[in-house]
Amino acid sequence: MNLQLLAFMILSLVTLGAAFKVITARFITHAALYLALSFVGVAGLFLLLNADFLAAVQLLVYVGAITTMLIFAVMLSQVEEIRQGAAEEGFWRRILSARFGVIPLAVAAALAGVILYLYRFANWKAVPVAPDPNTTRSIGQAMFTTYLIPFEVASLVLLVAMIGAIVLTMKKEDRSR
Amino acid sequence: MDWWPLLWSIIKALLIVVFVLANAFLIWVERKIAGRFQRRLGPMRVGRPHGWAQTFADLIKLLSKEDVVPGTAEKWLFLLAPIVAFLPALLVYMVIPFGPTWVVNDLNIGVIFISAVTSFSVLSFFMSGWGSNNKYSVMGAFRAAAQLMSYEVPLVLSMIAVVMLAGSLSLNDIVKAQSIPFVVLQPLGFLTFFIAAVAELNRTPFDLAEAESELVAGYNTEYSGMRWAFFFLSEYANTVSASAIMATLFFGGWRGFLLPLPPVVWFLIKTYIFVFIIMWVRWTLPRVRIDQLLNLGWKLLLPVALLNIAWTGLLGLVFKI
Repeated sequence: MNLQLLAFMILSLVTLGAAFKVITARFITHAALYLALSFVGVAGLFLLLNADFLAAVQLLVYVGAITTMLIFAVMLSQVEEIRQGAAEEGFWRRILSARFGVIPLAVAAALAGVILYLYRFANWKAVPVAPDPNTTRSIGQAMFTTYLIPFEVASLVLLVAMIGAIVLTMKKEDRSR
Repeated sequence: MDWWPLLWSIIKALLIVVFVLANAFLIWVERKIAGRFQRRLGPMRVGRPHGWAQTFADLIKLLSKEDVVPGTAEKWLFLLAPIVAFLPALLVYMVIPFGPTWVVNDLNIGVIFISAVTSFSVLSFFMSGWGSNNKYSVMGAFRAAAQLMSYEVPLVLSMIAVVMLAGSLSLNDIVKAQSIPFVVLQPLGFLTFFIAAVAELNRTPFDLAEAESELVAGYNTEYSGMRWAFFFLSEYANTVSASAIMATLFFGGWRGFLLPLPPVVWFLIKTYIFVFIIMWVRWTLPRVRIDQLLNLGWKLLLPVALLNIAWTGLLGLVFKI
C-alpha cells in the first residue's frame, strides 16, 4: 500500500467520522468542534490533491472563521441551556423515529445513490490534469480575469449581508437620537 | 524508497522543537525585565548569577504536580486543549526562514499558512474555557473569541500589503525582495501588524482573556501542573514566532547591514529585539477595557490597514517597486 493511499484513507475516515459526530453529538459545542475537525480533514484531502492554497484557505476560513461564528452563537445563548445538551436518546431509537431518523436517512441514501451512480456511469475525463506548481498565482489570475464579475458580485453580496446584519442589530433608541 | 528526505525532515522538526523549548529561558528573562521595570531585582535565589536556573526549578515543580481535572469539567475538551494550544505554536516555525537555506519547508503559501495555523488558537481557548465548566473560564473563552476575530482582520490585511510589495507568499522570497526593509515603505502597515500581533498573542495590554484582576486567570483558571505549563510555553513560543514574523516581513529577516555577521545571527538579533519590545509594552501599559479593545480593532486598525493597502498599491503604481 502506498503512503498516499494510506493518508487518503485516514483523512477521509477522520472527515466522515467527525461529520457523523457533528449530527449525533449531544452538545452543540461538541458538534462545533467536531465540525472543525471535519474541516481539517477536508483541508488534508486538498493537500493530497496538490491544492495547497485551497487547503490553507479551508483552514483559515472554515476552522478559523466559521467555527468562531459558532462560538459567537454559543456566546449569545443561555450557557445553562447549552450545558444541559439535547435529551439523551438511544442511537437506534433516534434512527427509527420519524422526525430525526427515517426521513433524513432516506434523503441521505438517495443522495449517496446519485453520487455513486454519477461516479460509476458519468463520462469523466480520463487524463488527470497535471498538478500546478503555483496554484495561488493561477487562482488569482482566474479570479481577476475570467471570473472577475462573479467574484465582484460575490463580494457585493457579502457586503450587503454585512450591512444588513448591522442594520438589523441596531437598537431603536440609537436611531431616535 | 529513499528514506533520507524523511529522516532529514524529522531532524529539522526536532531542531525546531529544541529551539522552541530553549525559549523557555525567556520566562526568566521576562521576570528579570519585569523586576527592573518595577525597581526590584526579580528572581535571584536559584542559580548564580542572577537566578538563571529559576525556570528549570519551576519546570521541575510543574512536572511533579498532580494532573488535576475538575469533577464537572468536560474531560476530553479539558485534556486536549493545551495540546491544541501548543501545536499551532510549533507549526508556525515550519515556514520561518532562519537563514537563506535554514528553513524547514519554504512553502510557497507561507503567509497564508501562518494565518491559517494561528487561527487554531481560537479553538484551544474555546476548548479550555468551555471544557473547564467554570464561569470565569467561559468568560475568558468568549472574550478570546471576540478579540481574536477582531484582530485577525487587520493582521491579515497588513500581511497582504507586504505580499503585494514582494509579489510572493513565500517568506524567503519576501526576505529576498527587501533590498529596502518594508518598514520604510509602509510604516503604517508595520504599526498595524505590531498592535494586532500583540493582541493576537493575548498579552497585556490586550490580555483580556486571562485578565487576572477580573477573571482569576480566564480560560486557564482550572489548569495546573504540566497542562498549565503547556499554555504558558505556547504563549512564549507564540511571542517568539510573532517577533520572528515581524522581523521577516518588515525588517528584512536574515538580511544584515553594516556588520558582516552570519544571517542566522542577524535574524535572531532582530527577533529578540521585538521580543524585548513586546515585554517592554507588557510591563509599561495598563490593560485596556473590552469596549476599548474592540473599538481600537474595528474603528482604527481596520481603516488604517485598508489605507496601507491603498498606499502600497500607489507605491507599486507610481514607483514600480
